Amino acid sequence: MEKQLSLPRLRAEMTSGVLCAWLKEEGEPVAAGEPLYEIETDKVVNQIEAPEPGVLKKQLREEGDELTPGAPVAILETE
Amino acid sequence: MERKPEWLKVRYNQQAVEEVAQLLGELKLNTVCREANCPNLGECYRRHTATFMILGSACTRNCRFCDVTSGRPLPPDPEEPENVAIAARRLGLRHVVLTCPTRDDLPDGGAEQFARTIRAIRRECPGTTVETLISDMKMNTDALDVVIAAHPEVLNHNVETVRELQAAVRPQADYHRSLDVLRYCRDKDETLLIKTGFMVGLGETEEQIEALMDDALAAGVDILTIGQYLQPSPAHYPLARYATPEDFARYRAAALAKGFRYVASAPLARSSYKAWEALEGIHDLH
Repeated sequence: MEKQLSLPRLRAEMTSGVLCAWLKEEGEPVAAGEPLYEIETDKVVNQIEAPEPGVLKKQLREEGDELTPGAPVAILETE
Repeated sequence: MERKPEWLKVRYNQQAVEEVAQLLGELKLNTVCREANCPNLGECYRRHTATFMILGSACTRNCRFCDVTSGRPLPPDPEEPENVAIAARRLGLRHVVLTCPTRDDLPDGGAEQFARTIRAIRRECPGTTVETLISDMKMNTDALDVVIAAHPEVLNHNVETVRELQAAVRPQADYHRSLDVLRYCRDKDETLLIKTGFMVGLGETEEQIEALMDDALAAGVDILTIGQYLQPSPAHYPLARYATPEDFARYRAAALAKGFRYVASAPLARSSYKAWEALEGIHDLH
């Protein structure tokens, strides 16, 4: 089953963040709780964890993109 | 946006954050984790820990480093003490940290609400320890006495920065008043563990840091926290530098050598981050 992952609202007043790194390649398996990508916000770099195990099917955004909370980031293929 | 150094990375698990946020929402509680946009929120919520911010989320002061919203606060919620205790029980907390926005509008600075909340936690969660991170309460000793009489295990009040930067960084507060608060609480009840903390990266010098440590120690502080200032927005006090993990290790060694009983010094150390470790660390010394 395909599941679309969106950027969580990391802070209450977050307006945007920069996708600074993908930590998994397309086609690579990922465990639940394993970091998938990094988002830089005003204070820190946040490593966003996968919500469940699966395979990273598609990276929807590129490194350097500025994203708003709720923006689609990835497609995860789950069982 | 300036690129963050490698050591300013945190993990974020949306599911864990939402679980804790839902519980807090049901009980109408605020956390400083959320209100101050703490970078450790994801990690702490994942471990089912949080620092409760009682007395509302609006602060009557407007410190230039702080991410808590300044505004006109509401009257204290009479159900809040019990709700904090219920949340602490449901989260299974063994050490509860309570803080507040500064409430200069209240005659007692919110002291009674602290005391009520401590007593509610004692009833609801026997054996759980409590740490209060208080404002300076305008150095109102009657108010401080109310908090001290409720006997939290740890009483914390942050000096936040070196003496030389106080006026620019926290204009409505005062370095010596903060030290007076710490000293008064120390002298009033010697069984309390007294704690303070400060940030680096605001433009302070090494000598000023040394002087701050000496002043805090002379005021009777047992536990010291040192963390990186993270500028919340371009409108806040400008960041001067990112101190390295090696810098923080050096500050920690210097503070321990001076005689503090426990020192948490790391880029993402915050006054309540892993606060129970300080308590455990000190008790192990006995």
